[in-house]
Amino acid sequence: MRTIAMILAGGEGTRLTVLSEERAKPAVPFAGKFRIIDFTISNCVNSGIYTVGVLTQYRPHSLNDHIGIGKPWDLDRSRGGVRLLQPYQARRGQNWYAGTADAIYQNLNYIRENRADNVLILSGDHIYKMDYRPMIDYHLAKGADLTIGVMPVPLEETHRFGIMQVDEDQRIVQFYEKPKDRDKGNLASMGIYVFNANVLERYLSEGRPEKPRNDFGKDVIPAMISAGEKVFAYRFEGYWVDVGTIDSYWATSLELLGPTPALNLYSDKWPVLTKSEERPPVKIGPQAKIVNSMVSNGCIIRGMVVNSVLSPGVYVSPGAVVQDSVVMNDTWIGPGARLDRVVIDKKVVVGAGAVVGTGNLETVNEQMPDRLFAGITVVGKRAYIPDGAQIGRNVLINSGRDEADFPADKIVADGKTI
Amino acid sequence: MASAFAMIMAGGFSEHLSVLTETRAEAAVPFGGKFRIIDFPLSNCVNSGIFNVAVLTQYKPRSLNDHIGIGKPWDLDRAQGGVRLLQPYQGGPYGDWQKGTADAVRRNLDFVLQQDEEHVLILAGDHIYLMDYQPMLREHMQSGADLTVAVRRVNPHETHRFGIVTLGADDRIVDFKEKPRRSRETLASMGIYVFRKDLLVETLQAHDYLDFGKDVVPAMIAEGRLVRAHAFPGYWADVGNVQAYWEANMSLLAEDPALNLYDAEWVVHTRSEDRAPAKFGANAQTGGSLISNGCWVEGAVERSVLSPGVRVAEGAIVRDSVVLADTVIETGAIIDRCVIDKRVVIGAGAHVGEGDDNTANKVMPEVLNTGLTMVGEKSVIPEGLVIGRNVVIHPESTEKTFGKKKKIASGSDIGVNLR
Repeated sequence: MRTIAMILAGGEGTRLTVLSEERAKPAVPFAGKFRIIDFTISNCVNSGIYTVGVLTQYRPHSLNDHIGIGKPWDLDRSRGGVRLLQPYQARRGQNWYAGTADAIYQNLNYIRENRADNVLILSGDHIYKMDYRPMIDYHLAKGADLTIGVMPVPLEETHRFGIMQVDEDQRIVQFYEKPKDRDKGNLASMGIYVFNANVLERYLSEGRPEKPRNDFGKDVIPAMISAGEKVFAYRFEGYWVDVGTIDSYWATSLELLGPTPALNLYSDKWPVLTKSEERPPVKIGPQAKIVNSMVSNGCIIRGMVVNSVLSPGVYVSPGAVVQDSVVMNDTWIGPGARLDRVVIDKKVVVGAGAVVGTGNLETVNEQMPDRLFAGITVVGKRAYIPDGAQIGRNVLINSGRDEADFPADKIVADGKTI
Repeated sequence: MASAFAMIMAGGFSEHLSVLTETRAEAAVPFGGKFRIIDFPLSNCVNSGIFNVAVLTQYKPRSLNDHIGIGKPWDLDRAQGGVRLLQPYQGGPYGDWQKGTADAVRRNLDFVLQQDEEHVLILAGDHIYLMDYQPMLREHMQSGADLTVAVRRVNPHETHRFGIVTLGADDRIVDFKEKPRRSRETLASMGIYVFRKDLLVETLQAHDYLDFGKDVVPAMIAEGRLVRAHAFPGYWADVGNVQAYWEANMSLLAEDPALNLYDAEWVVHTRSEDRAPAKFGANAQTGGSLISNGCWVEGAVERSVLSPGVRVAEGAIVRDSVVLADTVIETGAIIDRCVIDKRVVIGAGAHVGEGDDNTANKVMPEVLNTGLTMVGEKSVIPEGLVIGRNVVIHPESTEKTFGKKKKIASGSDIGVNLR
């Protein structure tokens, strides 16, 4: 039995605002030195799956750089290994990936070439540690055509997921993609599918070109259930999050900081592998204080860091205070600056004495009230925050903004966008 | 196109590094948290555009072999040149153990002859410095020298540790004294040589010189060859003894250290392990320290250097110490002025480096007399044990080694020397 993995990594992740503006969501940094896709790729190699296709579409450069030839995951192999699968032109025409299922359809050749019996379809946007082998064994033991990884979610979140109902044998009898009503139960699809390769090929090819099945949740799974194929649910018990929003991104990052976090990054048994940059250890100045935080290599801390996650190469000047924040690579925080509930992208400069995140937590962002509402201020890549600026809550500062883009008095009220 | 290739001497066993070199070659000793000493000359080579590097090993090379591998971290996994590990071997005109630095090169003369470059850069594997070798090579070629020696000023009180040179006109070396008892000169050789390859081969074939500093350099000067000095003004440390090793680590903690590891223009490359970022607990105190990835600090770390994966439990104190990878320091333990090797467990409430009794170590009094206590790889220090200063705990000591003792006096030597 040969199983190969296909990771869907083309999503834009618009709800992450500026974090996913210049990069695909799977390439968004997480937990200091990792990127979101590291969790899925590491799960594959830790589960003994060494043939992995990564399907990209939206701004893939950051992802291409990160994955490269797959060295950090030992996926630089002559047989199998990692392949980045981009949309391509063919003689029959050219098509962007029109959905999750269409992306796989356009790469059926890759699946055939690898002579796969089972195809494990994964999402590159989720943070979790999972051994896929028990799920594949379960799939085989049930004689299933499709097995879906599921877990219970809170009822108020069911509208974000594919929700299903199962019989006593765990066979799925009903599937609702993102139901508006809350009466469908709370068993949610994790976007993890094990398909029989030939069943997958059949269901993706049928109906084309008039009625293509472009999406797994909307088209393929309902079609299989109504056709009476053997579709089973596999219950996963463990940590799994979809960091879809700024709020959940921020909260998930800070959850890593407790004494016994649900996601343990410090175990040798299931290492999360990433492309490590060559950086010296964290340097902590004599006046510095670091409390309840994660700080990556190459950081120089001379001020105070509380309840925060810092990526490699962040510089915190004397007198600066970073609190309840996520700060990405090579950001420079000036003397006396204060950050509170902020997510800062790479290579930002925070001027001396600037205050970012001050004021009323409840004033939602005016342009994106549905995305920035939890009091978190977001600063895009390479932005420059002038000395002495006062920046409120739920503010969005877009990438590359300079001193000239700020108001003359350098005060940005709650909920504004620069 | 570089016209020189490099040979790094990494076979030394350096007794004066105590437990650190009981289990590995000196060049493989960890330094500055995540680095190993050999990372410095290797990174200097690639940063200077030298991509043909041989590393000569002899004493306990396994750790070095693992570290260098095919040279990936330095981009030395190349089809042309790259890094090669040269081990002692039997057979042929040159095969035998190496009896000194010059002899080590002689044992690999067949390799030397095969290289296309006209000049050979000889480096030591046990020095910490950041140096561009290109200016030295340029000077060597432009002046037509037979041999160029890198030199630097040293403290007049330390001239007995070095090869001391006397300069004549035009930076020509007119006299060279290896480790003189007293000297009026303070220019010391850094153990970095550029030879014309043909002359080096000829010299090593014609004579039975064993050592560059003791034999080859003085002989070349005596023969009237053009031996020139190249002055290097930057930071350079020979970390060949415990005190120098500890001091060089501590000097990294200065606000603006002489050795800048954070320079993006001159990166020190190493085999980085995949570890999560350093994590700091709610009551952690870590002022003035260097802490690597994978560490988890709940207690207090003051003025110390921690390698990857060290755990400091709540209530534990680490002060003025160097702690290597994956060591665990349990609740309430105190570490004061120690060098603790990898994978050591310091039991709860143990106190290592205690008191003011500065009795020198009884086995190596000339080396361990400054109050540093050394703990060897994989040792287990039992709960509540008190250990004095200048103590050596050899690798893999266990509870059994300590018996029923509650206190280990200053200057003791515990366990079995694995050397």
